Amino acid sequence: MASVSEMYDVTWEEMRDKLRKWREDNHRNSEQIVDVGEELINEHASKLGDDIWIIYEQVMIAALDCSRDDLAWTCLQELKRQFPGSQRVKRLAGMRLEALEKYEDASKQYDSILQDDPTNTAARKRKISILKAQGKSAEAIRELNEYLEQFVGDQEAWHELSELYINEHDCLGDLGVREAAVFHGGVCVCVCKQHTGSVVTLAGGQCLQECLARYGKAAFCLEELMMTNPHNHLYCEQYAEVKYTQGGLENLELSRKYFAQALKLNNRNMRALFGLYMSASHIAASPKVNATVKKANVKYATWATNQINRAYQLAGRGTKENKCSVKAVEEMLESITMS
Amino acid sequence: MVSSFWRDVVGVGLFALAHAAFSAAQHRSYMRLTEKENETLPIDIVLQTLLAFVLTIYGIVHISGEFKDMDASSELKNKTFDTLRNHPSFYMFNHRGRVLFCSPNREVSNIPNAEALRNPLRLRKLKHLH
Repeated sequence: MASVSEMYDVTWEEMRDKLRKWREDNHRNSEQIVDVGEELINEHASKLGDDIWIIYEQVMIAALDCSRDDLAWTCLQELKRQFPGSQRVKRLAGMRLEALEKYEDASKQYDSILQDDPTNTAARKRKISILKAQGKSAEAIRELNEYLEQFVGDQEAWHELSELYINEHDCLGDLGVREAAVFHGGVCVCVCKQHTGSVVTLAGGQCLQECLARYGKAAFCLEELMMTNPHNHLYCEQYAEVKYTQGGLENLELSRKYFAQALKLNNRNMRALFGLYMSASHIAASPKVNATVKKANVKYATWATNQINRAYQLAGRGTKENKCSVKAVEEMLESITMS
Repeated sequence: MVSSFWRDVVGVGLFALAHAAFSAAQHRSYMRLTEKENETLPIDIVLQTLLAFVLTIYGIVHISGEFKDMDASSELKNKTFDTLRNHPSFYMFNHRGRVLFCSPNREVSNIPNAEALRNPLRLRKLKHLH
């Protein structure tokens, strides 16, 4: 099999820099990391110097993703030899046990780390991941909340909590159902495991409230993230999406504003552009708004449509498929126009 | 990678600066000896100091690496959710990668589940997690 450096004609320094970039940007392209990292470790270990230890760690985690347990074991042994008694290496050993689904052993490993050092955040987060992996999401949420009470500044944990809340919908809260309840103001049809496991018709939507409460909590987590990272357009956009999912006129207006904010921060964010179009069209189509608001929102939606069409034309200029894709976008925009 | 040319430039600049400082000190002591304390520093020493200063600064700017934009949001323009969503401290490993990348000819390793080795691509029975 040709090595990576032969196939792509790169030097070992470029490979090392690429690994560093992937590490810093949190890429999870484990297959590539394993290929590149394995070659670096086998062929160029002496040239890497002290960088090799962090590469061992990165490759080990990628190897666990790719089910390369032999490679993971080798990396772990090297790290154990170099850093005996290190908490970080113990955590990696625990992660390997988790990958082999030996959750009790992994849990014991993390408990031993926490006994030696009760403030070790990494071990606590891994225990939460064990709960997540076993499917106990309610407990995971509870533990994560307790963790965040002590370590309020941990942004990764806030984002993780928001994702846990978003995915925590036992009862069906998908868009179609909520549309029905919100805009026709009456009966909500909900398939709910919690209640009977069959189709349940509720007036006013009691189980709907439970779904929406979780989205509200997810929105709270994202608000924390936006406060500490006001310049990050992705958090704005995700918050707007959660608000849009919650539905209701005030939430839609809020979501439109945050989509606009995300666009202000990064005018190339296509998702925010589509979001602006959708939320503005929804508000304009809602029966509860007066004429001025309706007109304003129709204006926003038209502006967004023009921007989308322009973006697709600019992106595809010079290529043969441009006409087809532009036409497809126009048709799609017309089809999702609210009546 | 820093090219050695700019490092040499910084070296030359610093050397010229040191040389100018030494000359100025010597000029000072010469003035004291000949008791002509009102004469100002000769223009060539002043010029050499300023030029060496500019040269050193220019060289250091080239050595110090890539400049970042002042606008905080411009750095994030290329970031996508693909990488934002990944939380390395919370990575889980019970995904289909464990089965997908499993090679069929592998020797018995630490995985206790013999079923997986015999036919790794057969979907394991999904355990009901709730």
